Amino acid sequence: MLSTTISVLIDATLLTFTLALASLGLAIIFGLIGVINMGHGAMLTLGAYFTWWTMEAGFPFAAAAIIAATCVAIIGLALEHFIIRHFYDKPFETLLITWGFFLVTTEVIKIAFGTDIHNIPNPLPGSFDLGVQQVPAYRMLLAIITLGLFLAIGFVFYRTTIGIKVRALTQNREMASLLGLDIGRTYKLVFVTGSFLAGLAGALICPMLSIDPYIGMVFLVRAFFVVIVGGIGQILGGTLIGSFLIGGSETLFALFSTQTFAQTVVFALAIIVLRFRPLGVLTSATRT
Amino acid sequence: MSALQSTTALQTARRLGVSESGLAIVALVGFALLPIFVSGYTIYILPQYMLYGVMAMSLALLWGYSGILSIGQAGFFAIGGYIIGLSFKWIDFGNPAYIAFVVAPCVGAALAGVLGYFLFRAGVRAAYFVLVTLAVSIIVEQVAVSQSQWTGGWNGMYVPRMSLTLGTGTEISLFDDGPIYYFVLVVVVAIYILLRWLVTSKFGKVLLGIRENEDRVISLGFDASLYKTAAFMMSGALATLAGALYGTHAGFVSPSLGGVLFSTEVVVWVAIGGRNSFLGALLATIVVASLSNYLSAIAPKYWQLVIGVVFIVVIIHFRGGIAGALGRSGAFGKHKRGQDG
Amino acid sequence: MKFNKNRRTLLSRRTALKGIAATTGVAAATLAAPTIIRRASAAEPIRVGVISPLTGAWTVYGRAHASGFELAVDEINARGGVLGRPMEVVLGDSKTEPRIVVEQANRLIRQARVDFLAGTFSSAERQAGAPVATQANKILLYPTFYEGQEGEYYPGVCNKNIFMFGPEPTQQVWPFMEYMMNKFGKKFFLIGSDYVWPQVTNLVSKRKIDELGGEVVAEVYIPFNTPQYDSVLRDIRNSDADIIFHTLTGSDTVNFRQQFVAAGMNKNFTLWTVDDEEVVTSGLGPQASEGTYVSFDYFMSIDHPNNKTFLKSFHTKFGKDALMNTVGVAMYNAAHMAALAIEKTGEVSTDAIREGLEDLTFDKAPQGTVTMRKLDHQLVLPSFLMRVRKGWTSVNDMFEEIQSVTKAVPLDARCKYPLQ
Repeated sequence: MLSTTISVLIDATLLTFTLALASLGLAIIFGLIGVINMGHGAMLTLGAYFTWWTMEAGFPFAAAAIIAATCVAIIGLALEHFIIRHFYDKPFETLLITWGFFLVTTEVIKIAFGTDIHNIPNPLPGSFDLGVQQVPAYRMLLAIITLGLFLAIGFVFYRTTIGIKVRALTQNREMASLLGLDIGRTYKLVFVTGSFLAGLAGALICPMLSIDPYIGMVFLVRAFFVVIVGGIGQILGGTLIGSFLIGGSETLFALFSTQTFAQTVVFALAIIVLRFRPLGVLTSATRT
Repeated sequence: MSALQSTTALQTARRLGVSESGLAIVALVGFALLPIFVSGYTIYILPQYMLYGVMAMSLALLWGYSGILSIGQAGFFAIGGYIIGLSFKWIDFGNPAYIAFVVAPCVGAALAGVLGYFLFRAGVRAAYFVLVTLAVSIIVEQVAVSQSQWTGGWNGMYVPRMSLTLGTGTEISLFDDGPIYYFVLVVVVAIYILLRWLVTSKFGKVLLGIRENEDRVISLGFDASLYKTAAFMMSGALATLAGALYGTHAGFVSPSLGGVLFSTEVVVWVAIGGRNSFLGALLATIVVASLSNYLSAIAPKYWQLVIGVVFIVVIIHFRGGIAGALGRSGAFGKHKRGQDG
Repeated sequence: MKFNKNRRTLLSRRTALKGIAATTGVAAATLAAPTIIRRASAAEPIRVGVISPLTGAWTVYGRAHASGFELAVDEINARGGVLGRPMEVVLGDSKTEPRIVVEQANRLIRQARVDFLAGTFSSAERQAGAPVATQANKILLYPTFYEGQEGEYYPGVCNKNIFMFGPEPTQQVWPFMEYMMNKFGKKFFLIGSDYVWPQVTNLVSKRKIDELGGEVVAEVYIPFNTPQYDSVLRDIRNSDADIIFHTLTGSDTVNFRQQFVAAGMNKNFTLWTVDDEEVVTSGLGPQASEGTYVSFDYFMSIDHPNNKTFLKSFHTKFGKDALMNTVGVAMYNAAHMAALAIEKTGEVSTDAIREGLEDLTFDKAPQGTVTMRKLDHQLVLPSFLMRVRKGWTSVNDMFEEIQSVTKAVPLDARCKYPLQ
């Protein structure tokens, strides 16, 4: 019994970190500048495809992942510069434009890379023995990288001038602009960072998945619920807690019921959480 | 947004409405006469696209007139399809189709009512509401797949073609393409008239007011969340009804009918047609679906890409979609629209 | 802001009227056009409506699906067509959506006026297309490995107008059950996608497992598009299963198996899949697929003279890297057998094609000799159990043959006879 419990906890933790990684880019863009980035899924997909493509060209995995994330960041920059920045005060419009970005990107991927399923070999085969169960080495690495990313973002956010600026901006836009903050530049920086992280997530997750044009779509809805349940703007703690509630509870429900039922219940629960904590589980005030 | 501006917006809408009626009549005459000139597949398939069009109009009511976006309309549509299927399976008295036409909108409205009341009451923001409707769509699809004892699961469910029964003994078969074409056309026209009436009624004005400035409507003493819930119920009821009719026309429903991809396709149609015009939404749906059918065999790969690009361009440059752009070409007056969201 | 110069105006009536006339016109014209272009002549082609998943989630399989049929039609036309008439393919894209299959089947029958239909991919697509074909009294040739026929799913199955060219579980699974149990053990863990094909395939397979004294320790169904499998992998790890019998489909199969291998579980369990043909196995790559068992009626690597000829013309037409699979070959057989049926009866009508196909034997099938059973319209075909070779580099060395039967005779379908 104890070993089962520990084993469930390990699984839930691994799942939480993977989901948190996949949601991080969205959490930053959605949470800090209020853009409901429906193109997040497409960015994950692009990250995966660029990684595969770069590796086909002979680069090692680590380099490919960085190159892929950078490429996605550049695409994000173009998207922001030419379109999104004109719509920051219209959440509906950005939602639809980013959905259009998803549609177009998916089709372009199909035309450019074909529709065959691709894969990249596991970059870190082997596993760690944690007593009760073997944990794949790459999953461990992924959890560590995710933790590292969260710490790094926490550092930037709370300990550097850029972080202070961004926080000022999200807390009070008028005040920040009165204080001479370049809002446009800061927004751009946030959007590009979010795109980079989405691309990186796609790159890091793809060794566990099939690389096909819909790879990102699978994570899109989950990532949204992670961000909403965790709380908009609660980038670090919120995303982790949201990931745990969405991913971990799926694992727990699956213990007692079918997988399908577990997924349905988790989505339904997310709606209920949204009702009673519209600003996420970490924020109790119901202000709008 | 000043009071003056929102009144002009309302006036414009009303004026647009007046001339839209003329266009609607032309379209109606066109569709009514069409079976004289063409037959076969066109007459078979158009009613299905018209019913997609009803779903598009139900979205336009929400999106264009109430400022609430739903990407779960196909979920309601699919529920309607399953209701009529089950009604044919389980009900052995009266006309199962009639019963489905009563039950389906009630179920749609009830579901929308519960969800809407639950969320709007709590002041859930419009943007989050979009994501909830997305989840609704996923849940509908997943339930339809997993509850196979009722829905036939992933393999779908057959639905017989309905007949019209009048009183006792008189039965008009809708089995052939022609009769059901006209039946669907009548239903679509009725729903269109209902929607047009609805948005010019006091209810519609309050909705427009909410879209333009929710706080102001609340300060005037209206319960905005109730109005929004009512609009969502109306929209859900219509989409479910359209789905029921679609089910009996197509003869087959399956889970992907309620899926995210179809749901978002509807959003694309409405955006292109014009979210502020029921006629625009209806006609754009019919045209885009027809083109999609025709071109998919010729250039399946590029057609989707074109639709995606058109969608982005419409959102960026033509907020009113084609209906809005057509209106603009008349070059009569310049009103600056308020922003929503 | 900059882009949003939206002006609302009163519609100019004339402009708008034109717009409406144009829209109604476009809708009617796009749908009606091809009917007008139709021409009649003495050597009018025999038209076949092929419904393939050209776009959408299962595009991956769609290519082999459509190209199998096209290849056969090319071969038929190269030798002078059927009854002196060329065969012509009218393609319809199912978009991997049953809803679109209804639309396309109607288009092909009513507008393109095809003589018969071939294709649809999944069982759901076949179920969607079947009533259309039945109502119009057209033949539908269905290519995919599937769950078998059960009377309650009429008209999708047990239908006198539908012919099955792919294997069902008593052909695909039963012949190899004994070998697998003797070699690896009697305890099975069944994992599949949450829909009819895996459920019924498991149901049928369980009968054989019971018969041979085996045991099913768990049966798990996973919803489509599940990215992570930690809890299922834990269940498998904690079970004392010997064989994992795998019926996941699409990208889920790749997701699951990547994680299965990453967890090192391929060392402790034998995985037997009845879903992962050339295309998916290529997608998996050697690392995630080696050592697993696969059973199907056709593999690109089977050693048969017919297959060599077939692959040669396939590669000539579609390039040397193109992938073929069981479904594409079934489409290929369907086209050839329909042509033979028409030649045999000398007539292109639904009744003639049906009569011609019944009890028809085709000895040029890439996998060997196949026969269409009259009783339940199920093809009797060879069946192969393969193991994925360690460190394979291409489809040519991907599978090594473990066992085969040249004539896998299925159980009679659970239909009302004669077929209605």
